Amino acid sequence: MKAIQAGDPDALSQLYDRYNGILKALILRVIHNEAEADDLLQEIFMEIWNQAKNFSAQKGKPLGWMVTLARRRAIDGLRKKQAYARAEERLQNEIEQQPDAWVHNATEEEIVLSDTRSLIRKVIKGLPPPQQQAIDLAFFRGMSQREIAAKTNTPLGTVKTRLELGLKKIYDGLKELRDEL
Amino acid sequence: MNFNEFQNRARLYVIGALEPEELEEFENARTKFGKKGEEFITKCYALHEAFALSLRPAKASSAIKERLMAMVKAKQQA
Repeated sequence: MKAIQAGDPDALSQLYDRYNGILKALILRVIHNEAEADDLLQEIFMEIWNQAKNFSAQKGKPLGWMVTLARRRAIDGLRKKQAYARAEERLQNEIEQQPDAWVHNATEEEIVLSDTRSLIRKVIKGLPPPQQQAIDLAFFRGMSQREIAAKTNTPLGTVKTRLELGLKKIYDGLKELRDEL
Repeated sequence: MNFNEFQNRARLYVIGALEPEELEEFENARTKFGKKGEEFITKCYALHEAFALSLRPAKASSAIKERLMAMVKAKQQA
């Protein structure tokens, strides 16, 4: 990140090679459209380049900063294009075809960060499905507690409890990994 | 709000899931807990990384990187 802050394009190229797959997966999870995800990925890396001076290592690691930025842009993009209904339909199809959609099988290419990834998946998979669903809707869809309550026909207080419990379990599960993330 | 409640709210805060009325209360508690609170919020952002890492990486079109690097170089030359 220091090299990017200094304006070195090769550093951006390396950062792209290392993290484009993770960021694209996140964007795809939000907007469910391959071409739009590619366009947004390019915009996000351009923003990373332009905003690199705002990154502070004291506030976290580069991946966290990039994921926060990518998620915000993806959710903004989803809202701007008023694609909720379309994405909803696609998401529903995806869920029907792949019930365990959030938890994927690792591939051989996933060497980098694979231990971290498998442990995170294990933690998430260990959550009760209603907690997984609430977190999924909040994080990947940008929904508020009230929106989740309405979508799932669940009392607001229950949604809040599911989110709090689920996030705490994941957070606690990450404690040992924090230095690696 | 005690620190335990603050921690619960902080985890919701970092994923943008606090309701407006909770947000105001949380910001007040954030001021109250100061540095300790800020450090905890920073740690909570690891949740973002975790959720991203829980997904199988997706391959981007090869043209994307070429376009990106061309834009960066053009900007540098401008």
